[in-house]
Amino acid sequence: MSEHATTVTWTLNGKQVESPPGLTIMEAAKLHDLEIPNFCYHPGLSIAGNCRICFVESNRSPKPVISCSERIAEGLEIQTHSEMALEARNSVMEFQLINHPLDCPVCDKAGECVLQDHSYTHGPDRSRFEENKTIRHTKKLGSTISIWGNRCIVCTRCVRFCDEITGTGELCVVERGDRSVVDVFPGLPIENSLAGNVIDICPVGALIGEDFKFEARIWDMKKTSSVCAGCSRGCNIEVQSLDGFAKRIVARENPEVNEWWICDRGRYDYRYLLAADRVTDASAGGEPIDSDTADSSLNDLVSENGGIVGILVDPMMTCEELHLVNRLSSTLSDCQVAAWSTADGEAESFPNGFTISSDLHPNRAGVGAIIGKDAFSTVAKGLRRSLDAGDIDLLIVFAGFPHPDLEKKWIESIGKAKVRIVFSLQSGSWCEGADLLLPSTAPLEKEGSYLNQDGRLQRVRTLIAAGQQPFPSELVRLQALLTHLGERPRSVSSSGVFRELASSVEAFSDQSHSTLGESGCVLSSGKSAVGSMGGDA
Amino acid sequence: MAHDPTESGTAQEHTSGTTEARKKKEFFLPILKGLANTIAHIFRREPNTIFYPEERRAPYPGYRGEHRLKRDSLGREKCVACFLCSTACPSHCIEIVAEEAPWDDREKRPRIFNIDMLRCIYCGMCEEACPCDAIELTPIYNIPVLSREDAIYTKEKLLSL
Repeated sequence: MSEHATTVTWTLNGKQVESPPGLTIMEAAKLHDLEIPNFCYHPGLSIAGNCRICFVESNRSPKPVISCSERIAEGLEIQTHSEMALEARNSVMEFQLINHPLDCPVCDKAGECVLQDHSYTHGPDRSRFEENKTIRHTKKLGSTISIWGNRCIVCTRCVRFCDEITGTGELCVVERGDRSVVDVFPGLPIENSLAGNVIDICPVGALIGEDFKFEARIWDMKKTSSVCAGCSRGCNIEVQSLDGFAKRIVARENPEVNEWWICDRGRYDYRYLLAADRVTDASAGGEPIDSDTADSSLNDLVSENGGIVGILVDPMMTCEELHLVNRLSSTLSDCQVAAWSTADGEAESFPNGFTISSDLHPNRAGVGAIIGKDAFSTVAKGLRRSLDAGDIDLLIVFAGFPHPDLEKKWIESIGKAKVRIVFSLQSGSWCEGADLLLPSTAPLEKEGSYLNQDGRLQRVRTLIAAGQQPFPSELVRLQALLTHLGERPRSVSSSGVFRELASSVEAFSDQSHSTLGESGCVLSSGKSAVGSMGGDA
Repeated sequence: MAHDPTESGTAQEHTSGTTEARKKKEFFLPILKGLANTIAHIFRREPNTIFYPEERRAPYPGYRGEHRLKRDSLGREKCVACFLCSTACPSHCIEIVAEEAPWDDREKRPRIFNIDMLRCIYCGMCEEACPCDAIELTPIYNIPVLSREDAIYTKEKLLSL
């Protein structure tokens, strides 16, 4: 390619268009809002060109060409819906459906199945195949993944994923011709930290997650765009829920953060939402109390306290909640805010550059930006020293950890506060003897924003429908407390709290929930924030 | 196309006159006919009503009443828990929870299959949507219950009908 060729002029369906050089026909057509059917093509994987469903007619070939691997060139004329292209694609579709079982009603992929979609646009309405369909294996490939071999169309997306993205290479295609199917090597099941992604990228219902099998139908579920709270990386996820219960988590594309992938910890770790040891009701001194009593008790405990106040925040809290804590601390005359966290997890990195962070907290950077850079270090040390000396009259503890692996020293120290209010996700030793114990919302139930390790501020959304919350969130309780203290006239939504945050913290200025969009914005460390809306790489 | 006002006026009078006459004819004649029918029935021997619980009318073919779940030749439920009936249901009265089937010829079966008969509007969409011919609306129309809970038909009850 010569250096000065910045665009290529070619013809798409009789219309002259310009595209950047080097793109394949399919990618270039997508930039002009034309989706060409595909199975084996995936933007994150190498080009295989084996499914042949993306056939288009070209002026440079007597036969149809596959648009996923043919690149655009000057003067190329492409017809995507000519008689030749349609006949080629329809024939491919008829071949694909020869051995594919008609079990859409019981297939967990139905509703988001690419084969189903293309069958509507290109498929024949009846089968000319009179012989018996080939039977292929149905078995477990690993602890979380099963293969329904009959449904497999051998696009090899999953095989390429294990070769190129994870570098583990567990999957392969065995047998030949119509008997070929995806399998693992004997005794080597697919067990890597990104394995769950092969379920997402399977265009048909061949690879099924044991976790979601038979759980719900795709079209019944509510889909919420959110951010994973499993580590500080902040992978974009879509939480799919039924009647307020999370049924599964799938990856959401964000080329700036996680591309198309999420790790299995982020994918399967949502059971803590319904864990048996979760705090669901407020209690005072061990006795359960109702929500209204808890609210007034919180207000009284804080407003009647005239001594030294300590607040211990956790990095699972959203930026909005942290801002309210900041407002609370500035209202109280003598108050220090520190932060605590759980022990580190295991970090992992993969050949394609995907990494899993060892920091299990989604908003550690947010705590640094809003509460202060030394909230985890010097301030925390100082607060613990004051606690051990018995100087703290009122301690407000936030413990929204889904997997609390907390330091024993901290737990001993927080027990020494004269009055202790605890917001906790799970019950544990830090809740024992609390003067007021309040339930905490879990990461997937929060509404707000997280700042990830790279300084990207991303929106998190609750999977619970408005008005269905079992208890008031911290965002509601803290605002009610601030209203009671006369700090603010009324409560506002999380977007409203964010507006206040943007006007009071410099790093967040010029931002609002609407500027964050679906893929977030990078906050520059300087004065103004850079609004780089990802999503169209 | 200007109309002569006097001309149109007479035309209107003319039509209104005939309407009056037609109204009289169409009103009084059927009333009298109806009265004659009523009076004739006073002298009829046989009543039109029936003694309901003891006597029953046979429903017309295609009548949509109480639901039932069908069984196959081996006595297993035909339902494969595909949720198409609950998807088609306009009143959202079907609740299904699927589980793995213990048989080789199918993957899924319903663990819970509840129909809320108080919500059901007996439209028959579930029957039409079913790919396995597993749900059916029977002609049974007398389905009184003593509590709201009894109106929620479980899988066992639907299979026993």
